[in-house]
Amino acid sequence: MTKGERPSTIWFVPLLVFALVTTVTGVTFAQPLGQASDGEALFKEKCVACHTIGGGKLVGPDLAGVTDNRSNEWLTQWLLAPDQVLASGDPIATELFNTYNKVPMPNLGLTPDQVNTLLSYLGSGATIGGSVLPTGNAVTGKAFFVGDKRFENGGPQCMSCHSIAGIGSLGGGNLGPDLTANGFTKYGDGLAAFLSSPPTVTMNAVWKNTPLTPQEQADLFAFMKNASVSGREPGALLQIALLAIVGAAALIALAQVYWGKRLKGVRRPMIERTLAASTKK
Amino acid sequence: MDIRSHVSMVFHLDKCIGCHTCSIACKNIWTDRKGTEYMWWNNVETKPGTGYPTLWEDQEKYKGGWEKKNGDLKLKLHSRLKGLGNIFYNPFLPTLDDYYEPWTYDYENLFNAPEGDDQPTARAISMVTGKPMDNIEAGPNWDDDLGGSPIYARNDVNLDGLTDDEREQLNELERVVFFYLPRICNHCLNPGCVAACPAGAIYKRGEDGIVLIAQDKCRAWRMCISGCPYKKTYYNWASGKSEKCILCYPRLESGQPPACFHSCVGRIRYLGVLLYDADQIEKCASVPDEELVAAQRNMIQDPFDPEVIKSAKANGISDATIASAQNSPVYKFVKKWGLALPLHPDFRTLPMLYYVPPMLPVLAKTKDGNYDVSDAESENLPALLSSLERARMPIKYMASMFSAGNVKVVEDVYRKLIAVRIFKRAQTVKDYQQAEVDAALEAGNTTADEVESIFRLTALPTYEERFVVPPLAREVAVEAWEKPLDRKREAGFGVRNKIAKRKF
Repeated sequence: MTKGERPSTIWFVPLLVFALVTTVTGVTFAQPLGQASDGEALFKEKCVACHTIGGGKLVGPDLAGVTDNRSNEWLTQWLLAPDQVLASGDPIATELFNTYNKVPMPNLGLTPDQVNTLLSYLGSGATIGGSVLPTGNAVTGKAFFVGDKRFENGGPQCMSCHSIAGIGSLGGGNLGPDLTANGFTKYGDGLAAFLSSPPTVTMNAVWKNTPLTPQEQADLFAFMKNASVSGREPGALLQIALLAIVGAAALIALAQVYWGKRLKGVRRPMIERTLAASTKK
Repeated sequence: MDIRSHVSMVFHLDKCIGCHTCSIACKNIWTDRKGTEYMWWNNVETKPGTGYPTLWEDQEKYKGGWEKKNGDLKLKLHSRLKGLGNIFYNPFLPTLDDYYEPWTYDYENLFNAPEGDDQPTARAISMVTGKPMDNIEAGPNWDDDLGGSPIYARNDVNLDGLTDDEREQLNELERVVFFYLPRICNHCLNPGCVAACPAGAIYKRGEDGIVLIAQDKCRAWRMCISGCPYKKTYYNWASGKSEKCILCYPRLESGQPPACFHSCVGRIRYLGVLLYDADQIEKCASVPDEELVAAQRNMIQDPFDPEVIKSAKANGISDATIASAQNSPVYKFVKKWGLALPLHPDFRTLPMLYYVPPMLPVLAKTKDGNYDVSDAESENLPALLSSLERARMPIKYMASMFSAGNVKVVEDVYRKLIAVRIFKRAQTVKDYQQAEVDAALEAGNTTADEVESIFRLTALPTYEERFVVPPLAREVAVEAWEKPLDRKREAGFGVRNKIAKRKF
């Protein structure tokens, strides 16, 4: 472009049109993709892991009639950010936390729209019971955990992110928490429900599209229920320490045999040798 | 053909007076620091002798340099696997005692001693322990001027090839002889230290061939110390890094010769560029022992050859450097005249420091007040400077040092040096017949013109003729990777960027 010539503005028009069209359509069809909009589906995706409606306690309380017991305002706030409510020292939240084995309700990342949908579903009187699992096999569960067996729907083996007692001394990944302390110990029988549809943000993203089959859930549950820190006899520690000391001493002695001559030097032996040879004459 | 340039050196041993000025100049500039007390990047040895560190030439002890194994060129020190096994316990290191325990003197005592019956003395204080040393047993030049000493001189490795008779003769009073051997890093073309370094900290600068140890990469494995057959890398116990002669590259970059060259009283040192064919390095280092010198000479290329110049330019060597190579005194001594020889080519590192072997005094007696050399006369050449066959130091000894045992190579050098002396003596003293001069020239395979040039560069060279420092243009080259003004603030030896502490 030569100096003094004004740039043409024509190129700007199609861009403007494109921006306008995309904004309008975006706002109109701003339905979040891949998230349940219908209350029942949403509950099954996010809540059934810990809650039932009229099916009794799991990890968390039975939610039958919850809309009558708690104010709408409190419930909205709680569902939006339970972690913040609990942190703020809210008396109801604290009591619930203490009652339910100090397992805090995770922040599910719900939008205000989803919260409203859920609340109206909870107020509708529908019931959802806890799922009933088939009998699990702990050995198969371990195979699933470490990845010797693949999950039917193609989910990743647990070991890639989690460690647990009983899978060997190297353990598993440590991206997620160690499940020896955070699995069965923490959730109790609710763990089975947790496995059916993990509600936490990270787990939900991983498992939403590759859910576990009921049999897989049962097997994993059986395995994790049994897994605990394997005991070690107190005498073993002393044995290991002794072995280490003896082994180190043996290695040092071996090194001394093999490399012992390395600092003998050259000059002194040469002088000694020469002097010895001259006195012999 | 892959022509590269190398800043190379010649030491003319005939001119060395053993004054150690070079060593002191180097010491004052570079190794006057904590941890470097025992180091002498430049040292001067008396030969025959065992040198510094003791018996450095004995590669059965130190495993330096290269050897041919099943036709392949291998590090003598170790294979990779063995190197890994020995990495914490390198068994072929000289101990501090093999160098020497460095010391200073308690000069204060001369001033502060309480009054007494005796003169106060300055006791020797160890620079390692800080305690007085009652018994100084060794030094960097312990056997100075003691050519026939019963311990150090007799254990010289180069005497191994001599017969018992020849060895015995060396100890006869009239035949006792020595010469000096100043040594710095040879800046080899096939350096053993570089190959031995597990950390990859040692490198050879592309533009001038100077071998350097990157202080921030060195991890103190000390394999270079064994790997260098000349024992010219040293471990600094204070910094935990190895160090070596840097050929005073900061001086070279500003157009000055290195400090040891500059300060040399006898003016024995010459510095200049050699152009060499890098394609030949491996082949040249692999030839049989007796061909090593010839192969190394063959690798050095004629800087006037248009083909060579073309290839040099293709490799980015500047016109100024090529001109410098054409002027190089090193090229003349090494290739054109064939007078300068590498030290211990049998180590196969292709050293780029060359030595003109010394003309040692012939055997003579004083008879009725006259210096009688009649015994020295050989069959085909006149007396005085001619008697190569009756030289005090056997040619085999010289061949062991300078030509991997090839006596012919050393003899050729001596014949030419003798021709120069006879030619000049005929000119100035006029006690030789023309026929004798011609015979000497023929034996030396040289001409009157060549002899005249050799004489001029040996005896009357100017500063500019001795030191032809190429323009290294580092100040331009450095702009490629950092701002010159940032760099300007930094000075001195050591680590430029502070090194983070190692984390385990």
